[in-house]
Amino acid sequence: MEAEAPGNGTGDAKAMGKKGVPEWLNSSLWASSSSPPASASTTAAARLPRSPPSPKIVAPARAPIPKPPPPPRPPQPPSEAPRPSVDAPPDDRSPSRLSQEEVSRQFQLLAELSKKVVNIGELRRLASQGIPDGTGIRSIVWKLLLGYLPYEREFWMQELAKKRSQYKAFKEEFLMNPSEMARRLEESVGHKNEALETGGRGFLMRSEITHDEHPLSLGKTSVWNQFFQETEIIEQIERDVKRTHPDMQFFCGDSSLAKSNQEALRHILIIFAKLNPGIRYVQGMNEILAPLFYVLRNDPDQNNAVYAEADAFFCFVELLSGFRDNFCQKLDNSVVGIRYTISKLSELLKKHDGELWRHLEITTKVNPQFYAFRWITLLLTQEFNFVDSLHIWDALLSDPDGPQETLLRVCCAMLILVRKRLLAGDFTSNLKLLQNYPQTNINHLLYVANKLHGSSAG
Amino acid sequence: MVLVLAIGDLHIPHRAPDLPAKFKSMLVPGKIQHILCTGNLCIKEVHDYLKSLSPDLHITRGEYDEDVRYPENKTLMIGQFKLGLCHGHQIVPWGDLDSLAMLQRQLDVDILVTGHTHQFKAYKHEGGVVINPGSATGAYSSITYDVNPSFVLMDIDGLRVVVYVYELIDGEVKVDKIDFKKTATTQSAH
Repeated sequence: MEAEAPGNGTGDAKAMGKKGVPEWLNSSLWASSSSPPASASTTAAARLPRSPPSPKIVAPARAPIPKPPPPPRPPQPPSEAPRPSVDAPPDDRSPSRLSQEEVSRQFQLLAELSKKVVNIGELRRLASQGIPDGTGIRSIVWKLLLGYLPYEREFWMQELAKKRSQYKAFKEEFLMNPSEMARRLEESVGHKNEALETGGRGFLMRSEITHDEHPLSLGKTSVWNQFFQETEIIEQIERDVKRTHPDMQFFCGDSSLAKSNQEALRHILIIFAKLNPGIRYVQGMNEILAPLFYVLRNDPDQNNAVYAEADAFFCFVELLSGFRDNFCQKLDNSVVGIRYTISKLSELLKKHDGELWRHLEITTKVNPQFYAFRWITLLLTQEFNFVDSLHIWDALLSDPDGPQETLLRVCCAMLILVRKRLLAGDFTSNLKLLQNYPQTNINHLLYVANKLHGSSAG
Repeated sequence: MVLVLAIGDLHIPHRAPDLPAKFKSMLVPGKIQHILCTGNLCIKEVHDYLKSLSPDLHITRGEYDEDVRYPENKTLMIGQFKLGLCHGHQIVPWGDLDSLAMLQRQLDVDILVTGHTHQFKAYKHEGGVVINPGSATGAYSSITYDVNPSFVLMDIDGLRVVVYVYELIDGEVKVDKIDFKKTATTQSAH
């Protein structure tokens, strides 16, 4: 399928020249064609993004869904497409400039959400094309996709109340330090403290310690001992939370908002670590939690935003449940571990673009572990800017089989989109490129990833 | 939740070779935030050992200390409490509670930590609380030979203090606790 046929490209371009097909349609991405042809023939060449795609991130550029004849029109800059509602190239994320297509999708999503029983399949389909920004529905859609909210609307309130109170109980159980625990215990027993100011003199009363419960205790059951043993993990969590997204006001800085958000992240990660002694806390979990918390905290419905911490905790657990094995060191080499997943990516690349695969792994010896490890374990949060990664997560979370399949396809698409540069590069330049993936048109990336899904047979 | 160790009168190496093993196994770095040492260590090695337990170490001079640079008394603020530290050989009669109360009023502290008598005491009077952690090595004192090794760990949590008393009696570590609190932070006029 990667047959090199230099003549083809130009011919195709000329045939479709009247439609203004962009030059890179004829790139070797598509099964039939090969290298990009001479660009002169196509009318729109000058304005078009070349492969690798243009750095401008264009919000509404998506292929219209019901376009019957193949090849489907790939995403084009709006200045090209005859979109009546958009007269000038829209800027990136202003909600007032949503394209007609996005508006219709938003409408459909809202319609779906307001139904009594949400049709999850339909929601997945809509979400996979991207949830329009600025509409505030991402929070609810993600909660549904992650299975936090049940599909029947009427159960939402009670389910939420149940989960939120459960989280509150977790907080009380796990976030108390031993001093407070001792104090609560005494208050419940009705022990009265001596107050300093109450005058009188005399020796202070001594009372016995039960169960070896003193701060220097080395006993295994002592809460103090457990507390000190966990300090290491807690310190690690605190360090990572402080370093999460240092460029974002939401997470980092001196504002009280940033501080309260950091505290929420910290609580969630500590409780998760205590509830899961198997994997505890691993560096990187903070990066996976960050977009979740951000989206839930920015829910326009204040009733929900207030409980963002509790909701984010359960969504985080849900999201991580598919990926836990990536974080467990012992499973690294097993069938469910990270190495196997990376090898699956390798296989996928080999299947879709054997030439690139050969060049990367054999010729330049760029072991996928060097770049794909971070892509996969952190769900691409580190490769793109924050807003883009939210879009990618829309697609990842909407996959009915779980995010991993889509994730691998997106990774594969990322490789394919820069194939020209990779094929021309050696070990150093390829590694540099892949570890600092260039800014991309996310819609195009997702579109390509989607195509890989379809042509998986070939 | 701030852990403060009050310890002193070790008299190493003159009257005792080292801390009891059971105490040493409990005193590990990383748990204690502050150390108040009443004095009479007496040598630098003990100072270094205490420094390894916690970075924040305060020592006052005892009459047998080899390092002459330690101050006679010290006051510091930990959380909501003002603590004072003094070895106690300066207060005559030794161990007399009224005289110690005078020192406490002079230093204007809520909790006064002194030593010298090598006997654990925790005493309350109108001005505040006096705590004597005793001798951590069980060294003989100027007053008596019958000394049980002891030290004190205070857990300061807001307006409440829990004092854990560690004593070595017949080879076993016995831990007791004492609870007290103050009702409000006193407005200081400085």
